[in-house]
Amino acid sequence: MSEVIWVDTTCTSLDNTVRHKLRWLIEASGAAAELSEGMRVALKINTAEEGYDYGLRPEFVRVIADTVAAATQTKPVVCDGLKLIDYWKKAWGNNFMKLASSQGFSTETLGGHFVINGGFSGDEGDSFPCNLPDSELGGVEVGTAVCRSDALWVLSHVTLHPLLGLNGALLNGGFDCLIGRARTRLLKSINPYIFNGQKPPEADLQTFQRRALESHLGVKAAVENKIFFINYLWDVTPQPEFYPFSDKPLVANQGFLASRDPVAIDSATLDIIQSEGHFQVQTVTGVDVAAMLKEAGKIGAGETAYTLKRLS
Amino acid sequence: MAEHKYEPTKWHSMKGPVIGGRDTYQAKSWNPTKKKWGSFTEKGPAPVWFAEANATNWTESMICKTKDLFYEAKLNQCFEKGDEVAIKIHYGEWNRTAVLRPEYIAAIVEEVKACGGNPYVVNDTTLSYHTYNSMAISQYQLEGAIRHGYTDATFGCPVMIADGYAGEDDYRVDLPEGLILKETYIGRAIAEADAMIVLAHARGHSITMYGGVLKQLGIGCQSKRGKYITHLAHWGDPHDAIGWPKFTDKCPGKACKFHKMCDDSCPRQAHHVAEHGKVWYPERCRLCYSCQVTCLFSGMTGIGFEENYFPNAMIAHADAALGALKCFDRGKVGFINCAIDIVPECDCFPWAGLAIAPDVGIFASKDLIALEEATLDAIDKAPVIPGSVAAEKGCKSGDDRFRMVNGFSPRITMAAGEKIGLGTRKYKLNNYEPPLTPEQIAKWQIRKGGVVNHKPTTVRLRDVFQKHDLATEVMPFGRTAYEKEWAFNEWKKYDPFKGAKP
Repeated sequence: MSEVIWVDTTCTSLDNTVRHKLRWLIEASGAAAELSEGMRVALKINTAEEGYDYGLRPEFVRVIADTVAAATQTKPVVCDGLKLIDYWKKAWGNNFMKLASSQGFSTETLGGHFVINGGFSGDEGDSFPCNLPDSELGGVEVGTAVCRSDALWVLSHVTLHPLLGLNGALLNGGFDCLIGRARTRLLKSINPYIFNGQKPPEADLQTFQRRALESHLGVKAAVENKIFFINYLWDVTPQPEFYPFSDKPLVANQGFLASRDPVAIDSATLDIIQSEGHFQVQTVTGVDVAAMLKEAGKIGAGETAYTLKRLS
Repeated sequence: MAEHKYEPTKWHSMKGPVIGGRDTYQAKSWNPTKKKWGSFTEKGPAPVWFAEANATNWTESMICKTKDLFYEAKLNQCFEKGDEVAIKIHYGEWNRTAVLRPEYIAAIVEEVKACGGNPYVVNDTTLSYHTYNSMAISQYQLEGAIRHGYTDATFGCPVMIADGYAGEDDYRVDLPEGLILKETYIGRAIAEADAMIVLAHARGHSITMYGGVLKQLGIGCQSKRGKYITHLAHWGDPHDAIGWPKFTDKCPGKACKFHKMCDDSCPRQAHHVAEHGKVWYPERCRLCYSCQVTCLFSGMTGIGFEENYFPNAMIAHADAALGALKCFDRGKVGFINCAIDIVPECDCFPWAGLAIAPDVGIFASKDLIALEEATLDAIDKAPVIPGSVAAEKGCKSGDDRFRMVNGFSPRITMAAGEKIGLGTRKYKLNNYEPPLTPEQIAKWQIRKGGVVNHKPTTVRLRDVFQKHDLATEVMPFGRTAYEKEWAFNEWKKYDPFKGAKP
């Protein structure tokens, strides 16, 4: 069973604000102790599309970046990839940076060097194997900000996702770390512009889901297993951040989870948001996330069973 | 001083050429180079606009004149509304003091936006060049750019690294026209732009002798791979030291006080210091210059450059400039040379020497070779600054200035560039002087789109003072009583010249 730590949103006070809680989360997990001076750490985050109104506050990332900087004595790299979906016909890196800046995300606000994982074109990357005997993909191309770093911390703003059910550690530490061409290859015939309840055929969707899970193994190989996950259960909206609009959150803010196991942390995330929000992800998205997590466990991405250590 | 003991360099011979993944990496460019690329001038002398460096009134500010030349040279016609316009500059090495003031770049960004373009400022990463280089790693370069004042906030547009996080985001360009290079790699943020304005700081360079707009293309637009190619890494026999550094057999070994820095200087550990000399693995080298420059910067001569290397590198960087130009349709690239702070060395040096000429002015054109020739001619004609390295070397006004200072004539590059189709060396200089009129003054003093809103400041202040006049509030001011005799004569008692006029 993998350990998942949960620092919840209760007992706030002058010395137990969000930034204290986030520091506590890192301390309790011991993740900073695994970093050493000079290590180049990449923090993979989510950047909000124009029209998506529930992006994380920069401070939520900065507190983690400052902790990593203190442990490594060097500023981490904070990154996200170019989105495959080009609503406004502004596909290149300069527009990505302009938009991120207008949303309050920049090197100054995030506490680390804010870069695009994949460069200006989104295609700067390198190939890594998925190390799975019956792999459909074989390998994936991972963006350079991730694959040229010594360690990866995946900071996921948890939301729902139209094709994968949950936008959490597995997706952000997998598909979302790939270069643009790799994502296109994974999607195959699926149209990524999912709106108004349009859904791809079930068989195609399952193929994509399996490929998305496998891509996490490629990312893990790219950083030689030096990978750590934080899930922000904050403003959990039905739409993921790459959507150009957002409904209000489905559940009250639940705090922050940390784990070294992406399957365990996503399992815990699913359980918490469903029980506290009194809804089923499958009802909202049509995706059986529990089954997907089980599949993830089968391919060696992690364990669905977890021990939850709750801190207030 | 005790004489050092020198031993010949211990060479580890190469078994053969290095074979990497060349056949499979970008074997076919997925986006063909623009079919309509080419030198802007089809025939005859190319027009070059020039505004001199001095300023005596508000229309003559160098910033205002830079904006004027942008329109006089019709650089606003290099792009259409909605075009993504790359603004190519040099971000400057850490501790370098002669970089372009950020306002020159902000001036152009503002006009690109005003004309409907979508600008972003770019530069590629470099090779390591020396032990403490701050431009080879993208985060270091951005930190340095911020320190120089090149930020998103300064310009109002993104400041980016053109070849991605690791210098690998590039696009291969074939060069059948090249005199030496047959391919190069251009940073994607430049290759993908619809148009480009190249804003160069015209000054010297140790390898190419001079650096202006051509060098911005020929080195600055190249990704890391492009730079290795342009440096001529692995071209020819290592013993000729054209595609490799020159090991002089004059290395004092561990007796050199810089030997630890030297050992640290190679990112590929292609050499290390022995007791009285060097050990050298040419196969591992990629001619990043780090060892040579570290040795030279430290005043030593153990590793250096073969003299014949420089003119070949000059020709190669003209080829590479063609690679960058090919990424754009003809007429979509505009060029500006700022011949100010004309120091002997490149902006990639971590210091700046004394200028070798007084500030000359701003040049603009759509023909890059014509622009460079005009700039070089003007710098050559300018006075020589006493105390500069040009004066030390006996350079006189009218001499080929950069040849005297750095060793070879930059016209070698221009002749090669003209031959391969970069432009024409013949130019017609159009001298620009801004008219002193209320309209001209208002044009660049009243800012549009900022906090100021189309009104002169003084008119805006009327609204403030009508509501509340902070000066009137504390009048009459506390002062000694006015006496005309005191006001007109007392100050002469404090003046060493007792009131006499110069």
